[in-house]
Amino acid sequence: MSSRISLSDILWGLTGTLAVVLIWEFAARSGVINAAIFPSPTLAIESAFEKLDRVDVIQHIGWSLYRVLVGFLLGALAGIIIGIAAGWYKFASFLFLPLIELFRPIPPLAWIPLAIIWFGLGEPSKFFIIFLGAFFPVVTAAYRGVISVDPVLLRAAQTFGLKGVGLLMKVAIPGAAPDLATGIRIAWGLSFGVLVAAELIAADKGLGYMIMHARQLGNVDVIVVGILLIGALNLITDGIIVWMIRKWIGRWHGE
Amino acid sequence: MTNFETNAQSAYIEFRNVGKRFGSQDNGFIVLEDINIGIKRNEFVSIVGRSGCGKTTLLNIAAGLVAASSGETVIAGKKVDGPGQGQGVVFQQHALFPWLTAAGNIEFGCRSSNLSKAEKKQLVHQLLELIGLAHAANSYPRELSGGMQQRVAIARALAMDPEILVMDEPFGALDELTRIELQDELLRIWEVKKKTVLFVTHSINEALVLSDRIIVLAPHPLGVHMDIEVTLPRPRDRTTPQFNALYKQIWEGLSS
Amino acid sequence: MSEQLKRIVYTAAVFISLLLAWEYATTNGYLKPYRFPAPSQIAKGFVELSVVGFPRGLTIWVHVQTTVERIAQGYIAAILLAIPLGFLIGRVPILEKLTNPLIVFGRSIATLSLLPLVIVWFGTGELTKVILIAYGCFWTMISNVIAGVKYVDKGLINAARVFGVKGAALYWTVILPAALPRIFAGARMALGVGFMVIVGAEMIGTIEGLGALIMEARTFYRSEVTIVGMLIIGVIGFLISSGLARMEKVLVPWDTGLEDVRR
Ligand SMILES: Nc1ncnc2c1ncn2[C@@H]1O[C@H](COP(=O)(O)OP(=O)(O)OP(=O)(O)O)[C@@H](O)[C@H]1O
Ligand SMILES: [Mg+2]
Repeated sequence: MSSRISLSDILWGLTGTLAVVLIWEFAARSGVINAAIFPSPTLAIESAFEKLDRVDVIQHIGWSLYRVLVGFLLGALAGIIIGIAAGWYKFASFLFLPLIELFRPIPPLAWIPLAIIWFGLGEPSKFFIIFLGAFFPVVTAAYRGVISVDPVLLRAAQTFGLKGVGLLMKVAIPGAAPDLATGIRIAWGLSFGVLVAAELIAADKGLGYMIMHARQLGNVDVIVVGILLIGALNLITDGIIVWMIRKWIGRWHGE
Repeated sequence: MTNFETNAQSAYIEFRNVGKRFGSQDNGFIVLEDINIGIKRNEFVSIVGRSGCGKTTLLNIAAGLVAASSGETVIAGKKVDGPGQGQGVVFQQHALFPWLTAAGNIEFGCRSSNLSKAEKKQLVHQLLELIGLAHAANSYPRELSGGMQQRVAIARALAMDPEILVMDEPFGALDELTRIELQDELLRIWEVKKKTVLFVTHSINEALVLSDRIIVLAPHPLGVHMDIEVTLPRPRDRTTPQFNALYKQIWEGLSS
Repeated sequence: MSEQLKRIVYTAAVFISLLLAWEYATTNGYLKPYRFPAPSQIAKGFVELSVVGFPRGLTIWVHVQTTVERIAQGYIAAILLAIPLGFLIGRVPILEKLTNPLIVFGRSIATLSLLPLVIVWFGTGELTKVILIAYGCFWTMISNVIAGVKYVDKGLINAARVFGVKGAALYWTVILPAALPRIFAGARMALGVGFMVIVGAEMIGTIEGLGALIMEARTFYRSEVTIVGMLIIGVIGFLISSGLARMEKVLVPWDTGLEDVRR
């Protein structure tokens, strides 16, 4: 697999995307689909621009990013520590694995009511939900990563006198890095999805709130633009994460 | 500790009734049984045997990486109870750390030596030159060919400057030319630095060119099948009748 | 064997002590019963839910059935659509290049962000929920099918060619089996997505289904009912994914599953 995307790939991709956008545009303008409930992209963007205050939108974006970052960082950090501990130390695996197995099947969104009961309607409840969204993929990946480090590598390091914490730091954790990276990327995507849902259900700012509010006002164009905005934000941040991961382990691990 | 009971010419490395079984007591798979081998200090010993007869297992026991199920292994009068008693190991699968460069892997080898940072760097550079990979110092293992990886693994073990070199088919993945070069180099290091070498190979030729002693392991019955001293003078000429006679002897030992 | 036994004993010990501590703390006023209803309270809630129902008349079984039906419809629709499409795109490089950015973007759109739009189109009824589930599952599924089909080891394909396999037979003998583990991985991920989406979707504009149940119960300060609902959601998710894993073992016996290999 080559890491470089060739120019022709980009051109083909653009062609495909453009085709879809054009078909959509054409269908909406010609009246094949009702433009009032499914506006064409240009119309939607145009009228959304009129209805939306730019400062407001930037604030919504800011709030959403802030929430997802805090929740994600807390969740990923806890996931890394607990996952690695459970993979390396037997007592930690006895303690944490059953709890993780018990709670993992419960989707993070199912915690919303309880989060509201525990933390009220403010920010902490959102952090908590996003925390859960990030925690489970990361903890699973960290655990898997550590227990699947090639035993031959551990042995090789032992012949050079490494043991205990040194062995964990120098061999087990780097060995777990590829799995961990995958887990972190999944966790980011999930955190993002969770964030939007949390904002739909209980928030008075953020992108999720923005589109839910637009529905109440009947502004379909704002909804469409909001959806595209959320998608684009997810895509860009995911790209940043992939880039960071590649910087981190890409050279030795490959794609 | 029994180190004072052993007499003066006793072995430096000694396998005493070593046995290994994988799996449970009653339902296990016996790989080694009653292995008794004594290896003198500075001796170069090769082990040959059919695939799957337990060579790697025996080396792992000597390296302290795998515990024997019975018997004991003693190095310099001290029972082996873990790695780090002077054994440097070259693994059958190179076992390089994928997240370290070639230079980084070699440096890992001298991590617990008390050289200064500059000296370590110097050593790493020398070893890279030795294995002919100075140009690949900053390449990661996945960017190296199989033979190059194996050479880095050898350099990593040498970086540790161990008393004992435990090598599991170290030259298996190399081309003939590099193999002969590295064989010569290994002999040179062994002579100059006075190391004890435990060497597994599938090549009778290689064993004959290198060793003071060749041990043939047999799967049925398990254990040492033959133990041959090679007294031919070095560098060894592969075309002499004595060489060929020994070759034939080992060949027959292996195929019986 | 004894290792396994030890694990079970420890696990049981962890759970039982946690439950006891929780019960003790709640009944003795260290924890507020509304925030942390005691295990005994939760058990009562479960009985009430299965007999009387919450809201009255809607027993837990009704909620479960509703939720499972919604997931099943959306999930199956997504899979039936994604597998053939994924095969097509994965095997035709031009199509793959044309659609790649669309698929990446489609997957990036947070499924639940579509909720307001889909409500505008189809109202708050069943169809909305099924469509959302189908949407979420579809992208997860199709990216995995494409990846599975696209990255079939060239060596395997060539090996089959050498034996004279070509055309459709190539699909049956090499490509499908080689892609199957990835397809199953996708199916499992998609199920997770479906579960997530349904819970979120049911929290808005309905009183039937497990998502609605846990949200409604909160509104009426019945946190023990919320917790019962969450546990049931977990159990269902666990059961379905175990079912998938078992099916995978039968259909893909050569792929021992990462769990088995790596331990
Ligand atoms: N961890 C293990 N669990 C169970 N059986 C094992 C294990 N390690 C090795 N064996 C078995 O022990 C036997 C000896 O293995 P070993 O690796 O020592 O062979 P070897 O002589 O080095 O073979 P080769 O020349 O192919 O490298 C083999 O039959 C192998 O299947
Ligand atoms: Mg071996």
